[in-house]
Amino acid sequence: MLLLRLFAGLILLCAGALPVAARAAPANIAAALVAESSRPAAGQPVWLAFVMKPAPTWHGYWKNPGDAGMETRAEWTLPEGVKAGPLLYPVPERLIVGGLMNYVYERDYAHPVRLDLPAGLAPGTKLPIRVRLDWLACTHEICVPEKAELAIELIVGDGAILPPDRALFDGFRAALPKPLDQPATFAFEGGRFRLAVPVPAGMAVSQPYFYPLTDGAIDYAKPQIARRSGDLLVIDAPARADAALTAVDGVLALDKGFGLSLRAEPGPVPTGGVLIEAGDETAGAGLFVTILLSFAAALLGGVILNVMPCVFPIISLKALSLARAGETTAHARREALAYAAGVILVCALLGGALLALRSGGEAVGWAFQLQDPRVSLALLLLVAMIGFNLAGLFELPALSFGGRLAERGGIGGAFWTGVLAAFVATPCTGPFMAGALGAALLLPGAAALAIFVGLGLGIALPFLLLGFIPALRRRLPRPGPWMDSARRILSVPMFATALGLAWIVGRQAGVDAMAIGLCAVALGALGLWWGGERQRRGRRHAWLPALPLLVAALLFVPFLSRETPSAAAKQMLGETFSESRLAALRGENKPVFLYFTADWCLTCKVNEKAAIERDEVGQAFAGKGIVTMVGDWTSGDPEISRFLAERRRAGVPLYLFYPAGGGEPIELPQLLTPSMLTALG
Amino acid sequence: MIRTTIALTAAIVLAAPALATARIGASAPDFTALDSNGKTVTLSSLRGKTVVLEWNNPGCPFVQKHYASGNMQKTQAAAAKAGVVWLTVNSGAPGKQGHMDAAAANAFVSKAAAAPAAYLLDAKGNVGKAFGARTTPELVLIDPKGRLVYQGAIDDRPTANPADIKGARNHLLAALGELKAGKPISLAESKPYGCSVKYAS
Repeated sequence: MLLLRLFAGLILLCAGALPVAARAAPANIAAALVAESSRPAAGQPVWLAFVMKPAPTWHGYWKNPGDAGMETRAEWTLPEGVKAGPLLYPVPERLIVGGLMNYVYERDYAHPVRLDLPAGLAPGTKLPIRVRLDWLACTHEICVPEKAELAIELIVGDGAILPPDRALFDGFRAALPKPLDQPATFAFEGGRFRLAVPVPAGMAVSQPYFYPLTDGAIDYAKPQIARRSGDLLVIDAPARADAALTAVDGVLALDKGFGLSLRAEPGPVPTGGVLIEAGDETAGAGLFVTILLSFAAALLGGVILNVMPCVFPIISLKALSLARAGETTAHARREALAYAAGVILVCALLGGALLALRSGGEAVGWAFQLQDPRVSLALLLLVAMIGFNLAGLFELPALSFGGRLAERGGIGGAFWTGVLAAFVATPCTGPFMAGALGAALLLPGAAALAIFVGLGLGIALPFLLLGFIPALRRRLPRPGPWMDSARRILSVPMFATALGLAWIVGRQAGVDAMAIGLCAVALGALGLWWGGERQRRGRRHAWLPALPLLVAALLFVPFLSRETPSAAAKQMLGETFSESRLAALRGENKPVFLYFTADWCLTCKVNEKAAIERDEVGQAFAGKGIVTMVGDWTSGDPEISRFLAERRRAGVPLYLFYPAGGGEPIELPQLLTPSMLTALG
Repeated sequence: MIRTTIALTAAIVLAAPALATARIGASAPDFTALDSNGKTVTLSSLRGKTVVLEWNNPGCPFVQKHYASGNMQKTQAAAAKAGVVWLTVNSGAPGKQGHMDAAAANAFVSKAAAAPAAYLLDAKGNVGKAFGARTTPELVLIDPKGRLVYQGAIDDRPTANPADIKGARNHLLAALGELKAGKPISLAESKPYGCSVKYAS
């Protein structure tokens, strides 16, 4: 998906270089009109597009602009018989300014338009296309209505499309919302607008948001809550006063730049379900609360870290030295502050490094989402290993540099002790740090940083208290075996977390995946136990034999797929759709069952489970030599889009059977039964 | 789990409204504001009269569409003839586009030959937020009993092009006519269009 978006973006950059293009005078949003084919065929549609390029800090508007703004309008002057379809809008973004919601595009975008040519035009006929485009360009401060008179000339021909034009328009079409295969329902209850959209439980979503086209259903600027309940995604938002609507149209965005267009009718909307994400991060208060909670949790974690066998002695020593030296209160406070500064600085640096890594990862397309079973499994492994470490199965090798600096007296010494406590004493802070790393990967940047600062402050807190409340120094317990017990006890919540993660993996990818995950944990534990055992005996290279086992455990992660198909399903998974492969199979007179699906298409998933992936169907197809071919339209594959458009279909599902020996394909109904399929051929 | 808790808490905190939504048919929220001549205007003291609120930002092209063409002034004159108290409201925050002090507001009114009963300076956005005003222009009609009977756009042509005024349905004048005739308001609410009200964020 990311690749596709990058691709579309790149193409937008090059759009200016196109031959058939009309461009308007410089404006805050530059507009150009381009055609996919300059020689369209009579009686066929041809795609045009308005390519919009906002200058930095400017934005254009979606069809429903939100609380303010204006939709873009086109007034066409067309040759007789030529008809222009509506302006199509890519999935927008949200922008809140002064408490008012704007549905906008802050990047380059395009409005594709379908033009239908009448049949019977002689080749060579000139078709002058003129259009006046009106749009609104705004910054956070001001708005400027802009317009352009655009014109291009098409010449009736064979409809040939040049590869660069095709790629350009494929990019435009991929950015449009995909039509949902089933109707959605909505209800107004207790001052809230609730919308139920059929989305398969297996479809990964990130920050779902409903952009209404129908005005008056919701207050745009108020946050939406999204829940998942089986195969339904439920959006819950404060309703506008006295909202009484018979239908609500809109786009449900499931990811940045990816959405489903839908129409909802009044109907039942189930309550309950699993909360996905509340509000949006642009709402300052939501982010603030996230930061506050992350900070509080990390603070608590940091305080707990103090009883770790490697940290506690450091603090204990410092406290004793403070008590013994009978230093002045001011000096004790300065030392405490220097220590805290050392700890927090190191933690913040670690956090900053992680965020830099994460942004690098996003650039190359890693998705850090809990919805991805691979991420869940990686977390499961991590948490289980932390648990085993706390339980004492193995020790992490201590780092030894920095000790000398910490031994120095005074403020500098205290600072370096802080650095030591946070970073150098990793044998036991490491596992907890890793937990914080995991959480930080999934949170927005500011909240992630708050975790690290909170962790640092938490570690420093007891010493700060000692510095500022002298009476506490004498009450400090002495280091001793109790610290080890505390550490062992802390492994219990870690294992409980691992259990929860195993359950999540099971929910996301099935029992098989959960078994794979537990296998990986067992393998990893074996490696750690072996290494730990050698470590205790003081062997050199204690970890050498354990390393392959640990690597093997990690290797499980990328292989975990969302669905582990059964044998019958494998039979029916078939070949990946391509028009050339289809043509080749047709050339060989082979019968082909071709179907198109998408992760977000509930009808598709139901048909696959209930009919296509059944054993009897697989056997029947194998017996008759029917080749199965699948096209996955989840992220709007352009070749499939064209294929669907040629068959006058707006979206999936589509089931086609090409009989042996040629002839037109038979289109099967949208609801399949196994008997329908076994009867084919 | 942590994420869920975070999300839940965020949702609860965010449930507090930023913009109130005045309800059509219910009593309009009362307010007291200073006008450009330093006089205090209180809505409840106008009970017994029909009141129009018009949100204004002279820098907004959609406002300019209706002032430069004379459409807003005409609407004001027609309303005045029907005995309406017309209050122009500026909810723009200081430093934002269209914010004006008293002198600038008076200069705007005289230059535009506008005829509001008062030009209210609502730099803190209290009046705007009480009514949930979202755009400039946006119009509100309050009947003599103090009830909100219309809120929304001035007309049905959501563009910035003055040429679109001809042939448009003036929602405010239509609602006013129906109110005077004792008929129910056929269109009591519409989606306002224009620039966002430049509230202090």
